[in-house]
Amino acid sequence: MTGARFFNAHLVDPSQSIDGLGYMDIKDGVITAIGLGTPLKDNKIARSVDCKKTILAPGIVDMRVQSADPGSEHLESLSTLLAAAANGGITALACLPNTRPVIDEASAIDSLCLRASRISGPRMYAYGAATRSLAGEEMAELGLMAEAGAVGFTNCTSSIRDSLVMRRLLAYSNMLDKPFIQHCEDHSLTIGSEMNESETSTRLGLIGSPSEAEVIIIDRDLHILRRSPARYHVAHISTRAGIDAVRKAKAEGLAVTADTSPPYFLLNELAVSTYNTAFKLSPPLRCEDDRQAVIEGLADRTIDAISSDHMPVDRDAKMQPFGTAQPGASAVDTLLALSLTLVHQGQISMTQMIESLSLAPATILDIEGGTLSPGCNADFILFRPDSSWIISGANFISDSRITPFESQPVQGLVDATYVKGMAIFSRD
Amino acid sequence: MTNKISTHDQSSGGSGPVILTNRHLLGIEGMSPIEICKLLDRGHMFADNPHDGVSDALNGKTIINLFYENSTRTRVSFELAAKRLGGSVLNISVAGSSVKKGETLLDTATTLNAMHPDIIVVRHNCSGAALLLSQHVDAAVINAGDGRHEHPTQALLDALTIRRRIGRIEGLKIAICGDIANSRVARSNIHLLGTLGAEIRLVCPVTLLPANIGNMGVSVYTDFEAGIEGCDIVMMLRLQTERMAGTETPSQREYFNLFGLDSRKLMRAAPKALVMHPGPMNRGVEIDSGTADDVEKSLIRMQVEMGVAARMACLEALIARSQ
Repeated sequence: MTGARFFNAHLVDPSQSIDGLGYMDIKDGVITAIGLGTPLKDNKIARSVDCKKTILAPGIVDMRVQSADPGSEHLESLSTLLAAAANGGITALACLPNTRPVIDEASAIDSLCLRASRISGPRMYAYGAATRSLAGEEMAELGLMAEAGAVGFTNCTSSIRDSLVMRRLLAYSNMLDKPFIQHCEDHSLTIGSEMNESETSTRLGLIGSPSEAEVIIIDRDLHILRRSPARYHVAHISTRAGIDAVRKAKAEGLAVTADTSPPYFLLNELAVSTYNTAFKLSPPLRCEDDRQAVIEGLADRTIDAISSDHMPVDRDAKMQPFGTAQPGASAVDTLLALSLTLVHQGQISMTQMIESLSLAPATILDIEGGTLSPGCNADFILFRPDSSWIISGANFISDSRITPFESQPVQGLVDATYVKGMAIFSRD
Repeated sequence: MTNKISTHDQSSGGSGPVILTNRHLLGIEGMSPIEICKLLDRGHMFADNPHDGVSDALNGKTIINLFYENSTRTRVSFELAAKRLGGSVLNISVAGSSVKKGETLLDTATTLNAMHPDIIVVRHNCSGAALLLSQHVDAAVINAGDGRHEHPTQALLDALTIRRRIGRIEGLKIAICGDIANSRVARSNIHLLGTLGAEIRLVCPVTLLPANIGNMGVSVYTDFEAGIEGCDIVMMLRLQTERMAGTETPSQREYFNLFGLDSRKLMRAAPKALVMHPGPMNRGVEIDSGTADDVEKSLIRMQVEMGVAARMACLEALIARSQ
């Protein structure tokens, strides 16, 4: 007798348009059957799990995570990052290459993924640095990194300034059939900036980052794409103008995708009013109209995916005046619960939310996950969408405990996270 | 020279220290007009009796001046104000202190806090730094300028100067001219003078105008002469020289030509218009010497004098609040 059956589960699988009470069978780490209703008794199944009507969905694929390991392990080690992600319902994550050393050659990808594979946790993928040392000038060894398993290329937290470099990078990534992930910010407009440019920044005396800095880069890149087709992905999109540009590009038929993160649909710049550095993020929290645009963009699928945008930052880097504090926050622990806020508010359906958290990012990166189809890896989560808890950085499994959502009540608690049929996290 | 035209209410100013709502003085934004007026009244009283032992409110109290930016007049002004009230003053400037060795603001705050000062006066180049400090010390904190945010005692001394010279603030037309974007003095004055009913105009090159400042109850002019037209007060701000090298403005020459104050341009203001400047001045950049030194029109020296009186009122109020 082998395998396991999960019955009495509320199945949500956008890839098969399944949404209802049913069961799922797994064997040897692979999904063998899924169906609505009560299954026929099967004596060969070794273990049956009564899911008690909790949601069984594909595991979260988090396509934007910064790892402090290697290089800054004091902020967070690989094992706590993966444990925190598992706790948050994440079954696969893609790590940005801004580690120390920078992941700009194949061996660095090998090393990171090998180390991750020795830890029982989510499947770990890595992006390759688009340019050597992330300097934005010379192309890194994209082809060799692709062979080593890079799921895409990015310059991490900075845009490629030089248009010719960008054009070549897009063309070359396309030759390798890998997406290019762009953090869209015209850095010449945002030098020294501390928050979104607005009346609030003026009142607080903080240097403003104008929101058009995002769309300027998106527009430039779209012009390049029209001549030189490629898979282009806008990371953590946060402005109405940027979202409008992506919407038009999609209508035009360009291969453009985008993701955003919970702060950009749950918070706005007014949060900065007390100079609380937990709200210092990159891109900065925008105005209320931008926040609404992000929700609209998610609802009409202009924004395909939701990522955590996890960035390990310690207290020292935040216990400073706003201007000198580091941007960023810990986010893998809270990604699901925060995202479900939009479901509870009735802005987005549960099915679409699961799609944005799993199927969409898996599709963008062309990696396993995001589906409960028979024959696929059994990467899934069980969660109670209505269970409430209060976010407290002190309770994070991640070593990095700064969150802009400190003390905020949320609904949605992961009971168990499975990768290849193995529980990498279980609340019991 | 008739600098002292006292029109204030002596009785209220003389009735004792002001009690503020907040434990700290971090900014003008959010202060009520009543609180502001009481501080000004008390400031009047101190200005009238600068050397008499009117109050020994700070007797046995320790005041620390913690200055992360260079300053002469503000630091000395606070020191003098505290000493006139009988307080002991410690000056800590960043050069030559542990800050240079990499100590953070909050570590410095913790260290100073352990010495139990009663008031910490802080100046820092980051907006919000005074608030941050206030959240981590037991002492009352006075913001002596935080980045581009606020410089509340400067606005109080400016208002005190105007009230002593003209007798009122309500209804005056006041032009604030120059580097608005980077000025904490401008922000505090917009809040204070606006709260007390002045009409405020901002006059500056468009590149030195912060976003959406029009929402703060001011009108904005990029033509200097049109901006100061008919104004009772022309308040000039300092422009840092590095902003005149082709970045925010093309050159010092062009800036003085378009936005500098001289006696010819001043004729566009109201006939008895008065000139102010928080100092230190860049003569020949934002203001010419003839105008700056004109004893009839310039309030610049009086501003310095009022600085001590205004700060005495603030120090006394915070000590009274803490007891």
